[in-house]
Amino acid sequence: MGAFIDFFRGPWHIAVYTYREGIRKKTLIGFLILSLLVIFGASFISSYLDPTSETDIDLKLIKDICVATISIFGVLITIFISASVVPGEIENKVIYTILSKPVRRIQYLLGKFLGAQLIIIVNLVLMGFLFCAALYMRQQVFPSLLLWSLLLTYFEFLIISAFTFAVSCASTSAVVPTIIGLFIYITGNLTEFLKDVQNRAGQSGKWFDDMIGWVANALYQMLPNLQNFSLKTQIINGQPNDPPTDVLIPNLMAYGTLYAIFGFLLAWVIFWRKEV
Amino acid sequence: MSIAIQTSKLTKVYEGSFRAQDVHALKELDLIINQGEIYGYLGPNGSGKTTTIKMMLGLLFPTSGTIEILGNPNVGSASVKRNIGYLPEGAYYPDFLKGEEILEYYGKLYGLGGKDLRHRMAETLELVGMTHARKRLLRGYSKGMRQRIGLAQALISDPAILILDEPTTGLDPIARKEIRDILANLRDKGKTLLISSHELLEVELICDRVGILFEGVLQAQGTLDELLVQRDVTVDVDDLDDATAAKLAERGLQVEDRVGTRAKLRVASAITAYEALELCRAFNLKLIGVAPRRETLEELFVRVVGAAQSTRRQ
Ligand SMILES: Nc1ncnc2c1ncn2[C@@H]1O[C@H](COP(=O)(O)OP(=O)(O)O)[C@@H](O)[C@H]1O
Ligand SMILES: [Mg+2]
Repeated sequence: MGAFIDFFRGPWHIAVYTYREGIRKKTLIGFLILSLLVIFGASFISSYLDPTSETDIDLKLIKDICVATISIFGVLITIFISASVVPGEIENKVIYTILSKPVRRIQYLLGKFLGAQLIIIVNLVLMGFLFCAALYMRQQVFPSLLLWSLLLTYFEFLIISAFTFAVSCASTSAVVPTIIGLFIYITGNLTEFLKDVQNRAGQSGKWFDDMIGWVANALYQMLPNLQNFSLKTQIINGQPNDPPTDVLIPNLMAYGTLYAIFGFLLAWVIFWRKEV
Repeated sequence: MSIAIQTSKLTKVYEGSFRAQDVHALKELDLIINQGEIYGYLGPNGSGKTTTIKMMLGLLFPTSGTIEILGNPNVGSASVKRNIGYLPEGAYYPDFLKGEEILEYYGKLYGLGGKDLRHRMAETLELVGMTHARKRLLRGYSKGMRQRIGLAQALISDPAILILDEPTTGLDPIARKEIRDILANLRDKGKTLLISSHELLEVELICDRVGILFEGVLQAQGTLDELLVQRDVTVDVDDLDDATAAKLAERGLQVEDRVGTRAKLRVASAITAYEALELCRAFNLKLIGVAPRRETLEELFVRVVGAAQSTRRQ
């Protein structure tokens, strides 16, 4: 037990440092302020402008905007921070002073990854809190469904974060990992479409179509299905305090964690003999 | 005397990516750094000093050959790094932190904490003369202050071995002298110091042993007494005029540091000291003194590197 705690001590200090450094980044602060403005604007201002039109459509629209905002800005922050915590430190050479301390490389990576998660979670909580408050003031019911949705959204971000982080360990700048992160996010949300591509391509029997079908299937099998993590339809159409339907939350959390562990191990394999 | 750091046949090739040429940065390097000494690791820019040091810390990996630190070949492991304090080349530290916060962070990575850590922080800040600026953000530090904080973070765990990559490059003379004094002081406390530098005068002032690296090959290694040969003799004279100076030069006595009628005559190896004195008498010069002259590190350096360059050309 003592050894176990000792192993996590270094990573914890690195994580706290990474968090403190990360929340100062101007890009991140910019994303956060923008997203809060959008949520605030959509949910509060609209009611002031036209207090009589408390229609269903109006509320749906607001929810739609807010869910989309949290998802898009949240994923931008996730990708941005996961792509830059390690390359940023290689670039400013602070990494020399850290890796020369009695810290193992896996501890270093763990610290950086945990620090990125802290930043992602704090951002998600800030955005989620504002949305919850807005919904509560509108409808006077506790928006528990939204909390479930935020939890699942975090696990979706965790997957994207882990793979972006792995790619960032192979590169010296944050540009390539950012692009790959966006790719994972977009394709991860389009896996149903990939399945569709495979089904259609399989029908003609031409070798070229077969190949496309094969690639689509490979991507479908490999990529995490990020659509699973979204409660958007239910949030928009249902009551804010409905229990989540059609999803198995523990399974999704396990699914996200497994993908994240795999991504982190990939990062370690890439990094453990990397020359800095 | 036991050995602190030893490399044997240490070789490093940076593989060129995409049609770029491979760089043979180090070739079969055999270094020995004894415990309790200041070792001056010398070489012009690009000779491979930083490469060697980074391999000692596990930041780079040798292409072949081995490194042992305090008898442990497992360099880069936490147990070896625990004994080392490292000051990287250039001053890059997280500049959103205050001076003392940086020491706190690095101290924690060594596993220090609580009262121990606070005590060490105060001690090292005092040692490097940064107590007054400990609450200021690093962003506002001058280059010299950054270098001092860098030294402090290397010292925070009171390590047995200090590896300093160009610790005084870019500093003003007073700061250099102060840092030199701190380093000599650490040696006197029994620490082992490996200092890489291309500032030869400075190294000569504090180092016990030196190694001279050129193009990845160790050209010479030893104590300054072993390496610096007593090359010649100088004769201090007075009552010298221009005509005499010219005549002396023809006979093999080079006039140096002439101030008015006083001058130093450097005796070339072609003539003996006796012959030199005979000449002085013949020209009616007033003799002030005769002294042996040791080669300077700079001359040694030029000699060694020059020899290496000429063998390479052949
Ligand atoms: N990452 C690298 N990739 C390729 N070549 C490198 C790299 N780092 C250093 N070199 C080359 O290795 C040689 C030694 O460099 P270095 O160890 O930095 O020398 P020094 O510290 O003595 O100035 C130089 O020729 C340098 O250009
Ligand atoms: Mg160097």
